[in-house]
Amino acid sequence: MTETVMTQIQSTSAKAVTKKSKGFGFLVPVCSLLASVLLWEGIVRFFSVPVYILPPPSSIFHTAIAQHQYLLKHAISTSWAIFLGFVWAFAIGIPLATVMTFSASLRRAIYPLLIVAQVLPKVALAPLFIVWFGFGMFPKVVMTFLIALFPIVIDTLAGLSTVRPESLMLLRSMGATRWQSFWKVRLPTALPHIFSGLKIAMTFAVVGAIVAEFVASDSGLGYVLVDARANLDMVMVFAAIIWLIVLGFLFFLAVELAERLFVKGSSHRRSQELGAGL
Amino acid sequence: MSLVLAATNESALIDLRAVAKTYETDTGPVHALARVDLKIKRGEFVSLLGPSGCGKTTLMSLIAGLATPSEGEVRIDDMSIRSPYTNLGIVFQNAELLDWRTAIQNIMLQIEIRGLDVKTYLPIARKLLAQVGLKEFENKYPDELSGGMKQRVALCRALIHDPEILLMDEPFGALDAMTRDQMNADLQRIWMQSKKTAILVTHSIDEAVFMSDRVIVMSARPASVVEDLQIDLPRPRSLDVRDTPEFNEYTAHLRARFKALGVFSND
Ligand SMILES: Nc1ncnc2c1ncn2[C@@H]1O[C@H](COP(=O)(O)OP(=O)(O)OP(=O)(O)O)[C@@H](O)[C@H]1O
Ligand SMILES: [Mg+2]
Repeated sequence: MTETVMTQIQSTSAKAVTKKSKGFGFLVPVCSLLASVLLWEGIVRFFSVPVYILPPPSSIFHTAIAQHQYLLKHAISTSWAIFLGFVWAFAIGIPLATVMTFSASLRRAIYPLLIVAQVLPKVALAPLFIVWFGFGMFPKVVMTFLIALFPIVIDTLAGLSTVRPESLMLLRSMGATRWQSFWKVRLPTALPHIFSGLKIAMTFAVVGAIVAEFVASDSGLGYVLVDARANLDMVMVFAAIIWLIVLGFLFFLAVELAERLFVKGSSHRRSQELGAGL
Repeated sequence: MSLVLAATNESALIDLRAVAKTYETDTGPVHALARVDLKIKRGEFVSLLGPSGCGKTTLMSLIAGLATPSEGEVRIDDMSIRSPYTNLGIVFQNAELLDWRTAIQNIMLQIEIRGLDVKTYLPIARKLLAQVGLKEFENKYPDELSGGMKQRVALCRALIHDPEILLMDEPFGALDAMTRDQMNADLQRIWMQSKKTAILVTHSIDEAVFMSDRVIVMSARPASVVEDLQIDLPRPRSLDVRDTPEFNEYTAHLRARFKALGVFSND
């Protein structure tokens, strides 16, 4: 009885400590960010840097908020591309890694293709996409998919092979089917790895969508960027970048939330350590 | 007398008949087991002692049907074992608990996989946890448990479905001496209550003698049985039994046996 009370006290105090340090750890980057924005504002004003070279943060934020209707419309277009490309990469990447885990010959067949697809500079493909798929959502989704696929497959592949052979022996002695072993042990063991792959894939997906919009689109924040630069509207360029940062951050957060939901026990902590290296 | 012997032979639950195992590897064949004949009776507690790498784990996986013999036959309950035999529980050297499951969820894995009724077995899991002194820990994750606690949970998982056979592959090898003593005492108590047929792989001569009805000594690879020693010490055995001359006679004998095998060559 006393032991449980003790462990409870210990765990709550441990929680309090982590919360405290988290709160403090959150303040530091906010302060440094704020300081650098102020410095930027100060320098631009002091040296009266022309707006078409480097606009002051105040007017950037102003435009980012004042033009929110225009920016939101394009942000939604970009979001769809990111979301759809990522979901496709997920829906195809995980099963692909799974079959590659269970069949050595399929692994040997798919692996080189995957690497070729990865080392190939996909930006160079974008003009081709216009020819093949025209303008619009489809080429964007394809580009995002292609960029997000690789980290998902590679990390899932690594994750699915981290299972200990003894664990599988144990499951077999319980009379488990292959499917049960996969579902109950192999996949959960792989989850922390899969989620680090998903996080990388998500940041890649944002880049993929923007790159496609640079070249082969008439909508999206990437298009806004190109269009504003052509008009020498640097304030809008930066405003679009700010929207992009927020967008990328929200998508990343979504993956991290999913991770917190699905990864339990110590593997959660382990994956957080892995994630901290990003 | 011979009649009685014949009868006991016939009632052997586990029967290894000239079992040999050769692993085919990239660097050529590895002869793990030469030829093992071994009969284990229902309810018997048998320890396997042998030098490292001699094939004890191999022997155990052959009994569990997790590997198939290259020659000979493994029979349990008069049935030839060719696929995983599931009426058993296994404890490995590393507890092999799943990180994302709590202690009780890890035990219940056995029930889920077998498709047994969770509601029926949950109280049994709790009772087992209480028996090994982990009542308060059922909702802890493995990384909140000590090594000894993890092995206790693994033991509960191996017992919850009330299997006929309990296989343990160096279950206490990674524990400190004191925890190990405690685990030995606990295991004896649980085994005496449940009357399972138990096979314990160990490197510790003391542990083998303390726990077992029979100690099987295996030679270096390729392994065969070089001694089959009956331990006639009354049960329940308290840990003090290790200070008695009878106990020390057994351990001294086994130590001499190992010396003869060249295992303790440097002393
Ligand atoms: N799956 C396998 N493939 C190839 N060789 C194997 C395999 N499993 C075991 N071996 C080899 O068979 C021999 C016996 O191994 P085993 O694990 O049965 O020994 P052990 O007595 O359990 O050793 P230890 O006491 O160190 O646990 C070793 O030489 C080992 O390298
Ligand atoms: Mg072994």
